[in-house]
Amino acid sequence: MATAKNARHHVVIGSGVSGSQAADTLREREPDARVTILTLSSLLFYNRYDLPKVFRGHRDWREFLAYPAEYYKDHRIEVRRCSRVAGVDGPRRTITLEHKEEIRFDTLLVASGGRGYLPEELAEFRPLMHPFASYTEAVTAASLVPDRGHVIMLGGDMIGLDLARTLIDTRHRVTLVAGAQTFWPHEVSDEERPGLIAALEKMGVEVIESHDAGGIATIEQGAKGLSARRVLFKDGTELHGDVVMPFFGLSPSVEFMLGSGTDIERGLLVNPALRTTCEGIYAAGDVCQIWSDAEKRYRFFYGWKNVRAMGDLAARNITGGDEPWVPAQDEKLHIGSDGKIQSPFWEYH
Amino acid sequence: MGDIKPVYLEEKLKEIEESGRLDYRSKTLPTWCPGCGYFSIVEAVAASLCELNVPNENAVVVSGIGCSSRFPFFVNTYGMHTLHGRALPVATGVKTANDALTVVVVGGDGDGFAIGGGHVPHAARRNVDITYLLFDNGIYGLTKGQTSPTSAIGFRTPTSPYENPDRPLNPLLMVLSYGASWVGQAYAGRPDHLHKMITQAMAHRGFSYLHILSPCVTFDKTHRTYSNLGMQVRDLPADHEPTDRAAAMREAMDDALPALGLYFREERPTLGDALDGLVEKAGGELPGKPAAKPARKAARR
Amino acid sequence: MATDIQISIIGSAGDGTIAAGDILRNAFAGMGYKVISFDVYPPEIRGFGKCIARMRITTEQAYSLKHKSDVMVSLDDSHAIPHAGELRDCGAMIYEQGSIVRLPEGGHMSAHVGPGQLPYPLPIRELSEKSTGANRSRNIVVLGFIAGLFNLPAEGFRKAIGKKFRSKAAAAEASEAAFKAGLDYAAKTFKLDDVVFGPPVSSVVAGSTVEMINGNAAIVRGALDAGIDTFFGYPITPATSIMERLASEMPKRGGRLLQTEDEISAISAVVGAGFTGARAATSTSGPGLSLMAEMLGMGVIGEVPSVVFVSQRGGPSTGMPTKTEQSDLHMAVYGGHGDAPRIVIAPTNVDGCYRCGGKAFEMAEAYQTPVIVLIDLYLSNRYETVVFPARPPFEADMNRKPGKQAAAAPYKRYALTADHVSPRSVPGEKGGMHVVTGLEHNELGRPNDSAELHTAMSRKRHEKLKAALRHPDFTHFKRFGDEGPVDVGLVAWGSTFGECLEAMLKARGEGIRCAAMKVVMLSPFPTHGVSAFLADCKEVLVPELNYEGQFANLLQANVARQVTRLARVPGEPMKVEEILEEIRRLAGRGKSAQKAA
Repeated sequence: MATAKNARHHVVIGSGVSGSQAADTLREREPDARVTILTLSSLLFYNRYDLPKVFRGHRDWREFLAYPAEYYKDHRIEVRRCSRVAGVDGPRRTITLEHKEEIRFDTLLVASGGRGYLPEELAEFRPLMHPFASYTEAVTAASLVPDRGHVIMLGGDMIGLDLARTLIDTRHRVTLVAGAQTFWPHEVSDEERPGLIAALEKMGVEVIESHDAGGIATIEQGAKGLSARRVLFKDGTELHGDVVMPFFGLSPSVEFMLGSGTDIERGLLVNPALRTTCEGIYAAGDVCQIWSDAEKRYRFFYGWKNVRAMGDLAARNITGGDEPWVPAQDEKLHIGSDGKIQSPFWEYH
Repeated sequence: MGDIKPVYLEEKLKEIEESGRLDYRSKTLPTWCPGCGYFSIVEAVAASLCELNVPNENAVVVSGIGCSSRFPFFVNTYGMHTLHGRALPVATGVKTANDALTVVVVGGDGDGFAIGGGHVPHAARRNVDITYLLFDNGIYGLTKGQTSPTSAIGFRTPTSPYENPDRPLNPLLMVLSYGASWVGQAYAGRPDHLHKMITQAMAHRGFSYLHILSPCVTFDKTHRTYSNLGMQVRDLPADHEPTDRAAAMREAMDDALPALGLYFREERPTLGDALDGLVEKAGGELPGKPAAKPARKAARR
Repeated sequence: MATDIQISIIGSAGDGTIAAGDILRNAFAGMGYKVISFDVYPPEIRGFGKCIARMRITTEQAYSLKHKSDVMVSLDDSHAIPHAGELRDCGAMIYEQGSIVRLPEGGHMSAHVGPGQLPYPLPIRELSEKSTGANRSRNIVVLGFIAGLFNLPAEGFRKAIGKKFRSKAAAAEASEAAFKAGLDYAAKTFKLDDVVFGPPVSSVVAGSTVEMINGNAAIVRGALDAGIDTFFGYPITPATSIMERLASEMPKRGGRLLQTEDEISAISAVVGAGFTGARAATSTSGPGLSLMAEMLGMGVIGEVPSVVFVSQRGGPSTGMPTKTEQSDLHMAVYGGHGDAPRIVIAPTNVDGCYRCGGKAFEMAEAYQTPVIVLIDLYLSNRYETVVFPARPPFEADMNRKPGKQAAAAPYKRYALTADHVSPRSVPGEKGGMHVVTGLEHNELGRPNDSAELHTAMSRKRHEKLKAALRHPDFTHFKRFGDEGPVDVGLVAWGSTFGECLEAMLKARGEGIRCAAMKVVMLSPFPTHGVSAFLADCKEVLVPELNYEGQFANLLQANVARQVTRLARVPGEPMKVEEILEEIRRLAGRGKSAQKAA
């Protein structure tokens, strides 16, 4: 890859919406620079909001890629897949990968996103659940659900509810075990909640309020010849389904940044220009908490449009810009005149 | 001087004809210079083949290039007149292909110890069952008189007009150290002894090397002449034990006064035996013996 | 569904790279696939030189390796990284995910997996250590992973592994454990690549056998089936394995093999044995052939049957002993002094090695002359699945015997006859005594250098070879592709023909009228057949692995015709793409022309 000898090396951790947008902007603004993406994924960037398509028969990963392989060749963006970052040394500007390779950077953008959060009381049932956060997870889950099969969705969250829309649309049965994260990341008041639940039921989702059933007692493999999974509530309520899928929102992937010299709360703390407390290191997307002057606190911004805008902004500020963060979309959840739930996070097509 | 017995030509011819030796001479007359020692060698070879009763078609005479190497044309057997220095490996091929043949290699000192010197050790150590008659005249005669690896130091020839700066090799010593299983020396000026030695060499089962001293009457008037050789050669001591390789080497080192006779002899498996052994080890079957009559067995009886 | 998958395993000498390749290709051949395979070895004997095991697995026998592999395995990233670009898009890159040492930036395969390729990082070392207690079975772990990832019958692999470790029980046990570890890991791996094996198609005719062997082994089998009696040789890369294999096989059949002190001795003994009536041969490479030149001339003038197997490598001098090249053609055909015509045949694939390996003995006897079978390192080490006929297709005896000689008439070993071949006797035969000499001679074999005789004997030695152009059951040359007039005709020889055939077929797929001719008999040259083909070609392309175009020289010495030379010396097989690009250019469909269209 031909890069000028003294060209800077911009490294992006994460190949999601935010990281991929950042790499594109970095390349555009600094044609001579070296741009490297480090990602855990074994695939090039795809939009995870597209994943419900697996239930519409799309199982070929090539249909999910946002850009073809040639894009990376043409744009001279190195993508290192299956690469787990073990640690970052901010002052030395060095990344160590898990396989003991060291990478020098001039600037670093952390866009590692978040992974599915799972409440502690459900952790022991993890092996019996099928998350839906990556292409491979999506295809694996979909392959276990037969035609008109039954999906038990725990939690909800807007990603899960989006999947529920597709499942209903493709004539699957969906039972939602609702709880605190059902409309994550929207903040929903107690007054709003019954209407939204009703809208879900109208959509065709069967809803059980976990709280009403006393909470989940256990999740088991179903009896032979019957269903694959059984969910038992403390009040004796039983659910039988083909898969159990957890959707409890995201928790930021930051553990590799411990000891890097950046300040971390739940996510990486950044100023409105998306700079961390360590020089040369920026953060964008679901991993960062941005200082809000108005609210006088660090807060997360979610949704595809926001996350993409953050990647773009961070890249601009890395390459000489100094603009503050302005949210790219509102975060209001409401029920439209047709009686259907409308979330700005679902507007990605 | 004792009594001189008259010899009548007709009687001698009759005796020769009756001996059957002539059957082993071809109709081609040797091209050597009059007086060349090689005449007595071809005569002795024919007599030995005859004495050993080797069927003509079972004998193969292989040579390289040189005056002596014209030899195959003068005997009535199969023959190969090959390349300069390559007679030994060719003969190894012949013998490997057919153990029943009697294979004689003839060649000169240049052929055997200059260009072909690399092959002698291997034919010797393998104990290829052939007889190597080395005609040593200390000169390249065919190309008209240049120095050879057995030429005396100080010898003046067209390629060493001032003097030959190189010391001569000692082929006998070399062949003894190479592991030849039969080593002897003869002199063309003593045809009866020569004939006996050739017969013994041919009868030996294994690699037999006979070094034959012979003058080049045309190109060497000073060093290896009949008169000089006649004065130099001696017999090996009567008590020489031919199974003692070290003793043989001691005798061979005295090359100023070359000793004639059998230096060394041992019985050990030949290359053919070894190769047959490999076939047995590999669980193979030895092929039916080729059509040729086993000459050696007849000879040893 | 037709299968066409190429797998490359790259590692260093101690990684068991070639062993893994060996097991893998045997496994595929055992399953009924066709295999063509060519490994790369390091020039060093010890140490950490680069090894590449490469194989192409197909439904129908392929003619060459592909430029790009579908699956690549790295057992040593430092060697594999430079080759990462040889994996096709959507192909699988299998490599060690961890490292036991600190790596500099770019020192891990993950840095080099192209955006179109699919990474499969595996804990290879860990799996080997956990399953066998040692890291020596990393290569077998990978085989297990391949079996699992591509859903191949594990039984086929186990059979091939068992064969490899037949005599080593401990190694066999460890291998089974390592294989299973790889297999289990694959079961947990999400398959992303699009490499899919279709069912194999068995095409074995009753009585025949299918074996996957390399060119050297095929030559050996040909020689054995033709009844070789004696062999004399001297070790030299890349011909050595011919001698090694014969050394173990010949004694089983009562044959005799001798390692001589040098190549001169080897060819001399072959000529001696040939004179004696044995089927005799030697094997060597270019440097040895140089040494043999003088004795080959002796074989020509003495009219002694003798066979020389020559596997070429990069030259001149010691050159590149572990790299392939086709630069000894001139020496094979013309080498040596004087007018010394001989037969030179050059097979183009492993099956051809078998046929030429046996036919050489027939020809040597029938035309009483040295025969050179000319291959190269690529063909020597290239594995293909070969169908061997139930009965060897070779004649046991092609000698023209003198019969009973009239007592009075002297036997004329070199009698001038209508077809220029004289009846030959061998030692042991009564009445056939003669002397073979390197001197020019008369019909009796007696030295004679008259103008008339030298002319007559020279004519005899040249003209008798013409009959070899009609030697029965032998493919002297063969045309493939379009019949009738074509835009581009390829003419090629030896190992490179496979790539030419592949390129020609691709060009036809692109709509170019195209044909390719392989020329197996290089001397005497089949002028008639080749010129008939050239008359059909608008453009003639001659690809070969030497600098100047030695075959093109030979061709043009026999047929007056302009040709385009594609002569390259990369030390490795020519790339099909490079030939194809040249075909396109000659057909007026160069890259520029394509873009315009």
